[in-house]
Amino acid sequence: MKRGTVSAIINLVEPSEQLTPLTTARPVGMLPFGGRYRLLDFPLSSAVNAGIQNVMVTTPRSGRSVSDHLRSGRDWGLDTVGGGLFMYPYNDLNLIAPEKKQSLIHHYYDNTILFLKRSHSDYSVVMSTRNVGNIDLKALIRYHEERDNPVTTVYKSVDPASLTPKNTILQLTDKGMATAVVPTAKAKLSKGAKKGAKNMDIYLMSTVDLIEILQDANRRGDIISLEELMKQAVMQHNANAFEYTGFHANVHDLKSYFQANMAILEEANFRALFYSSRRIYTKVKNEIPTFFAEGSQFRASLCGTGGYIEGQVDHSVIFRNVLINRGSQIKDAVIMQGTRIGAGTKIENVIIDKNAVIGPNLVLKGTPDNPLVISKGQHIFRQAEVVTSE
Amino acid sequence: MNNEMLGIILAGGQGTRLGKLTKGTAKPAVPFGGRYRIIDFTLSNCANSGVDSVGVITQYQPLELNAHIGNGASWGLDNLHGGVTVLQPYSSSEGEKFFEGTAHAIYQNIEYIDQQNPKYLLVLSGDHIYKMDYDAMLSYHKAKKASLTVGVIPVSKEEAKRFGMMNTDETDRIIEFEEKPEHPKSDKASMGIYIFNWPTLRDYLMKSYATDKSLEDFGKNVIPSYLAHNESVYAYAFKGYWRDVGTIQSLWQANMEFLSPHNRLNIGDQNWRIYSKAEVLPPMFLTETSQVNNSMIVDSCYVAGEVDHSILSQRVSVGMGSRVVDSMVMPGATIGKNVVIDHALIGEEAVIGDDAIVQGSADEIAVVGYNEVVGVEKP
Repeated sequence: MKRGTVSAIINLVEPSEQLTPLTTARPVGMLPFGGRYRLLDFPLSSAVNAGIQNVMVTTPRSGRSVSDHLRSGRDWGLDTVGGGLFMYPYNDLNLIAPEKKQSLIHHYYDNTILFLKRSHSDYSVVMSTRNVGNIDLKALIRYHEERDNPVTTVYKSVDPASLTPKNTILQLTDKGMATAVVPTAKAKLSKGAKKGAKNMDIYLMSTVDLIEILQDANRRGDIISLEELMKQAVMQHNANAFEYTGFHANVHDLKSYFQANMAILEEANFRALFYSSRRIYTKVKNEIPTFFAEGSQFRASLCGTGGYIEGQVDHSVIFRNVLINRGSQIKDAVIMQGTRIGAGTKIENVIIDKNAVIGPNLVLKGTPDNPLVISKGQHIFRQAEVVTSE
Repeated sequence: MNNEMLGIILAGGQGTRLGKLTKGTAKPAVPFGGRYRIIDFTLSNCANSGVDSVGVITQYQPLELNAHIGNGASWGLDNLHGGVTVLQPYSSSEGEKFFEGTAHAIYQNIEYIDQQNPKYLLVLSGDHIYKMDYDAMLSYHKAKKASLTVGVIPVSKEEAKRFGMMNTDETDRIIEFEEKPEHPKSDKASMGIYIFNWPTLRDYLMKSYATDKSLEDFGKNVIPSYLAHNESVYAYAFKGYWRDVGTIQSLWQANMEFLSPHNRLNIGDQNWRIYSKAEVLPPMFLTETSQVNNSMIVDSCYVAGEVDHSILSQRVSVGMGSRVVDSMVMPGATIGKNVVIDHALIGEEAVIGDDAIVQGSADEIAVVGYNEVVGVEKP
């Protein structure tokens, strides 16, 4: 593919309420995932693996954590000539003062239009970050080029029983075209349907068409999200529907976030996501090797570097720089970077955010459907401080 | 460009005493400690000491080393005023610039050094494991108004027989140099680390190579010549952890020391980090059947067997029923099922077939070379 043919917009303005407290101080796209990644790394890696060099990242607020992670884009090969990474912060309309909002009518999409015009690309792909996967965007572009519809969208075929009301699905015609993107609850799934087309929130179209969609929205004075515009585009035009067949997990609430992490502990999923010919890139860190002490037991689990493991860990995702003291028992847990677990503490079905300190001889217990969540930087030293999830 | 002190890392040696491990690569590129290569320690010391112009002189099998160093970004050495330059021998109207000894290597790269125009030249080896502040050594060099400062490390009488020994007066001025003495008079062994006043060294080298070409090696020729001409040569005592990893035995030993949480190297010290070219790889995966004790493991390892008091580097896999004990396994090695690896160094991308045994001992470490295949039956 010729250099500069495709540009990408990765949209971090996504619903985050169901993921609090993990999303109190970060957008969904910055959620740590899989031992060393952020959700944003997956669409970003897909883009660069397809040779895309013009990438726009829109963030709801200041995007401090996003800039910290991406910096110049070097770790994704995006600090390059004729392209690179473009950050657009403060896109969350709920945070905008009414006066400011007034002035944004007819101008809300100006930055995006400017980015697209300057990219001189033929095609643009719009992606979200709450769908973990490793998609071959080159194949998506070929699929699009071979068909007539102006928009191509992407789905993962799943067992309808696995869909929750919060998931969105593509309404497909007999010929496999998408006519709408709707929440499962509102979808007209025929009773005996064996497959549901789970929406991946990926939209591909010509850059000219996307600019037109945005200019139209500006003219109408529509201040709705980019994602809404994409869904409208699918409805207006009927879209090609591309089936993605790799590992996929949708993260929309605490349970689905927890399950997505547990899912990659299955070796087949882990390999499909991380060991295809398309690598997942992330910010490079210089951690030391992880040390497993005498008497430690670390099984069926993932671990980042920089860790110090003395206790027992089973079926868990342990991020970088985690300290697990002697005699502790950890099972079905997601423990993010920099967290320390005291000696003799028992943990099961728990998500622990970054840099938390959990004292010795405590019991932290959630359920698979309702994992207990410990917030970023929280220090817990007494059992009474463990707030079980309501 | 005018940098006060330019660092030169001598990374051209073949490292013949590392046998199979350096058959296809330069010694400084040999993996160490799970996620490093030997030269990372020296490069990181430069970066941490604020020596941000560094020339790396290569000669023997440089490709892996070149790929590792790249533009120096991994060490923050891709800066605006210097950075890392990999120096390969090249040809000129005077002939080809291959070199024989350490001082000759500097002479052959005099054009690069002149380009940088430093006041002081810091000469380093690329094959030592240590953390050292070269800026502190430079302050000492200036305070002593020295022409040459030699980094020294205390060694026992027995060890002294393997080193160049510096005999000093009460002000630490070096009055005598003895190469591998039978009866050492001091405990100050040269670490092969020097700070020279560049204009002075330049004069010595130019004169020598215009006449008898005698200044081939720093230890053997330059230091004695400096002493004979009454230059002020001082010893700078380094008290930290320092290991020369020039032999199979010492490389294995230093790796085993690295494993200890109490190792004096203090690899986890955030104020003096050791950087390396970090490949972005998935996290390590330890399966249901793994049993890991007293060991260090890094990204992209896959462990289904037992690992005891060993280091696994990136992308190493250990199959079910296998046992890796007192060993260091280099990146990309694949260890099959029911394998025994004991007291061994396993080279990069080596393949150890099912049921194979690689058995060494504390006195004789077993070595499997790069890409070597052990115990896989040919179809």
